Amino acid sequence: MATLTLQIPTINDSRLDFTVLAKIWQDVAKAGNGTNVNFNFSSCGFLRPNAVVFLGALARLIQHRGGAPRFLVDTMQSQVSANLLQNGFAYAMGDDTQPWQGNSIPYREYSQIDKNAIVYSLKNEWLGRGWVNISHDLMNEIAGRMSEIYVNAFDHSLTPIGVYSCGQHFPNRRELTLAVADFGVGIPSKVRFQEGEAFAGADAMRWAFTRGNSTARQIHGPRGMGLDLLKEFVRVNRGRLEIYSHDGYACIDSTGEMYENLPVFFEGTLVQVRLVCDNKLYLLSSEIDSLAFF
Amino acid sequence: MYIKVKDLVGENAMTLDDGAAIYNQIHDPLVQGQVVQLDFEGVEVFASPFFNAGVGHLLADLQPDALNNHLKFEHLSDFGIRVLRRVIDNAKEYYAANQSHRNAIDRIVQDNAANG
Repeated sequence: MATLTLQIPTINDSRLDFTVLAKIWQDVAKAGNGTNVNFNFSSCGFLRPNAVVFLGALARLIQHRGGAPRFLVDTMQSQVSANLLQNGFAYAMGDDTQPWQGNSIPYREYSQIDKNAIVYSLKNEWLGRGWVNISHDLMNEIAGRMSEIYVNAFDHSLTPIGVYSCGQHFPNRRELTLAVADFGVGIPSKVRFQEGEAFAGADAMRWAFTRGNSTARQIHGPRGMGLDLLKEFVRVNRGRLEIYSHDGYACIDSTGEMYENLPVFFEGTLVQVRLVCDNKLYLLSSEIDSLAFF
Repeated sequence: MYIKVKDLVGENAMTLDDGAAIYNQIHDPLVQGQVVQLDFEGVEVFASPFFNAGVGHLLADLQPDALNNHLKFEHLSDFGIRVLRRVIDNAKEYYAANQSHRNAIDRIVQDNAANG
């Protein structure tokens, strides 16, 4: 059985770093079914949550294709191995060490849509750690808006290996991040299948972010509100939502929306959400009124 | 007809399947002209697929006036109300679109889902 060894560099969460991840995916894809893959971390200083979920999903993809992933622990610098032990990634990959609480939001794998587990993680492992000061109602609202990411991933992507999430609290940057990855078909390819091949990656992402547009299965009627709710949420909270999918990129923050083509594609979607974590209450505007619903 | 939503879907009303569970209970009674009360007490987290499948889908064959008169929502949180209103507005646009165009989109999307 063939073995491929990949060098994993330091991976931050910029667009350049995403390109590194996409190239790693391409190397694995080119290696073909049944290939064992070793991950060497000798040149890696740290991994952001986007890299953690990506590598976790990649490991399961390699297994799904009949190969074996192997993370070369001996090549890891201490801070890298400590991070992967703390957030539970190492435990999920077979290490005996139980994860512990720190600034990490635990690494999670969802093979199917387990809504209660997803909400539990969002409310207790991400929002409920005391890093943001929010009311019970607001926590439920944020959990609902964030859960759209997971529901979208299962409904849209047809992912064969599930959905992966992980996050981090950065006290110095006063930032709370969450990354969610799947290796489904990707948003642009679904938009092209449904709307026509002429869509470039950026145009496909723009289409998907337009209220009312959806590539989800419409067996139960109209769709297309999830990304809109998410957009609204990050804008109100001065956060940032970034989605890398196939060959398209979308970035939403309080200053606007940006859609671009990506030079390197991968089959799947990686979502990154960053919230400003400064102990201020997030606004919860009320729309209670007496207007009829329909 | 009174339905306690939490009994059917739990405290997290999020998925298409959650919505379908509600739709399957209320669609026929609404068609028959019954008044339906959906009580959301104890339901804490909402996502749009739930409302799309449970409520938005009703607009396929029921008129807005009939739904205003016969479908009542109780103990719905502020955020639940906000998502529900968005979903209903979106569903009204969707079902107001040209029927043949809508059928074509549905067919493509369903084929896509079936083919994986």
